Amino acid sequence: MGMTSAAVSAAPLRVVRPAPAPLAIEVAGVTKRFAQREALSGVTLGVEPGQIHALLGPNGAGKTTLLRILSGLVTPDEGSVRLNGLAPQAARQLLGLVPAGDRSFYLRISALENLVFFGRLHGLRRRDAVARARAALESVGLAAEERKRAGLLSKGMQRRLALARALLCDPAILLIDEATHDLDPEGARRVRALVASAAAERSIAVLWTTQRLEEIAGFADRVTLLDLGRTRFCGSVDDLIAHSVVRRYVLTMPTVERDRELVARRAGAAVLGRAEIGIVPSDADRYVLELRDRSVLGDVLAALTAAGFPIVACRPDRSEIEEAFIALTGDER
Amino acid sequence: MNAVVAATRRTRGLELRKLAAFVRRDFLVAWSYRLSFVTGFLGLLGGALVFYFVGLMVDPASIPPVDGKPVSYLEFAVVGMALGGFLHLGLERVSAALRNEQLMGTLESLLSTPTAQVTVQIGSVLFDLIFIPVRMTILLTTLALAFGLGLQLDGVPQALVILIFFMPFVWGLGILAAAITLTFRHGAGVVGLAVAGLTLVSGLYFPVGLLPGWLTAAAEANPLAIAAESLRDALLGGADWSAIGPDILILTPLSLLSFLLGTAAFRVALRRERRLGTLGAY
Repeated sequence: MGMTSAAVSAAPLRVVRPAPAPLAIEVAGVTKRFAQREALSGVTLGVEPGQIHALLGPNGAGKTTLLRILSGLVTPDEGSVRLNGLAPQAARQLLGLVPAGDRSFYLRISALENLVFFGRLHGLRRRDAVARARAALESVGLAAEERKRAGLLSKGMQRRLALARALLCDPAILLIDEATHDLDPEGARRVRALVASAAAERSIAVLWTTQRLEEIAGFADRVTLLDLGRTRFCGSVDDLIAHSVVRRYVLTMPTVERDRELVARRAGAAVLGRAEIGIVPSDADRYVLELRDRSVLGDVLAALTAAGFPIVACRPDRSEIEEAFIALTGDER
Repeated sequence: MNAVVAATRRTRGLELRKLAAFVRRDFLVAWSYRLSFVTGFLGLLGGALVFYFVGLMVDPASIPPVDGKPVSYLEFAVVGMALGGFLHLGLERVSAALRNEQLMGTLESLLSTPTAQVTVQIGSVLFDLIFIPVRMTILLTTLALAFGLGLQLDGVPQALVILIFFMPFVWGLGILAAAITLTFRHGAGVVGLAVAGLTLVSGLYFPVGLLPGWLTAAAEANPLAIAAESLRDALLGGADWSAIGPDILILTPLSLLSFLLGTAAFRVALRRERRLGTLGAY
């Protein structure tokens, strides 16, 4: 009121910046060597509360080693890890771990008793542990199986049981190692849906390791791509897809000409100058079309059809994430 | 300061509660193997029957009297057999407990919970340490009734106290074997060697006096021999507290030494596994 513009400009400028979101998981320059082999080399990443961070990489990339370091089971040689600002050994109360493999339960006792046991190791009284275990089983759709021995549960059920155990004591952080590795697509989708809803509803920071490229789109918020212990990429899923510089399509062209190399050369000549492309024979009547610029696909197909090539089908050879993975790691899986 | 003391007490209380969870877990697992319990017990009874027939050949005069009272060979051997079973099973279970967790794939899940390392160690064997004396009591009672053994009921409290003081010795040795197992992945040989060596100079199944002189001297420092003699005094001679007191005085430092040595070795082994990243490997 009545303040001049000069007075306004003379007032000390206070820039209010939103405080950066504190990281639930902080990994800074972590290196781990086993004998002569470097399992992790200067890996750095951060996960915010409520965020799902996919740790992607082929076998031997160092994903499980990083998870073991975060859960305090392995000590790093260099660098530091912090879980909500605490060292892993001090942060075990905050942690829910879904280990890799299907053997992390006492197979002779019931699903409920397994959860109650682990609940009590988190400091719950028996009565509370039973109540929470029942709620956790309910949340993962295993309420009807509570009296069944853990060893009699299917693999998919055991994975959901592992997730129930990880969620049992309201963790701030979930470390999930290859949870969908050997599950059928429906089982894998169910586990991902459970994790996504837990992360969103309870603001849990999730570090999710996987080799399955197709499962991170629409699921993970950020991705770190590890290869031979080194970070090849760290960013959003969209940024990762941007690395898919080459796009491959499989064309089905049943031609009269049986010399498939010749067909490929002719087809290449027919679309010459339209884009940076390549056409190579695949199997049977199929050819792989490689494009640097995916927007020219329509033009290329039209040109091939006009030149008399009988295209009966065209489908992407790999997902964009797979293309990016190959571009970043050189791993043609 | 009071807050710190209160927090420490709270933590200790919490860790003690966790021990109950371990006992329940192992009870449920053991209950799921009921047939194995029955067959194990029948095996012990069968062993006792062998000692009965061996005892028929033994001249009673060659068995040293207990607290001045003459005893039969079966009475002499049965107490040794019960204590030997206690040592053998105790060592086997303590050394194998964490290895079993490793083989079952539960060790990493266990160690990633907010549970103190010592709670995991003790918790993993507590059920057995409770169960084995119970089994030993059932065995002795059954044999006493079947063969008319002259067991003295008024010596039972003293016998239990001897076992309590002997337990840390077994636990320490077992956890030392567990450390070796964790490091080298095979510890059964170490346990077998330890049991054989200790048993040889223990007087469990034959009087120590039959050993060569230098081995008799070794028996005097063998906690198993001390516990065996003391148990016989209590269960066969009905020895009172003043009679077993000196034995407990000798047993205590030996048990403490074994306990500390085992705990330290296990700590070192676990730290090594964490450094190498091979905790879950088997």
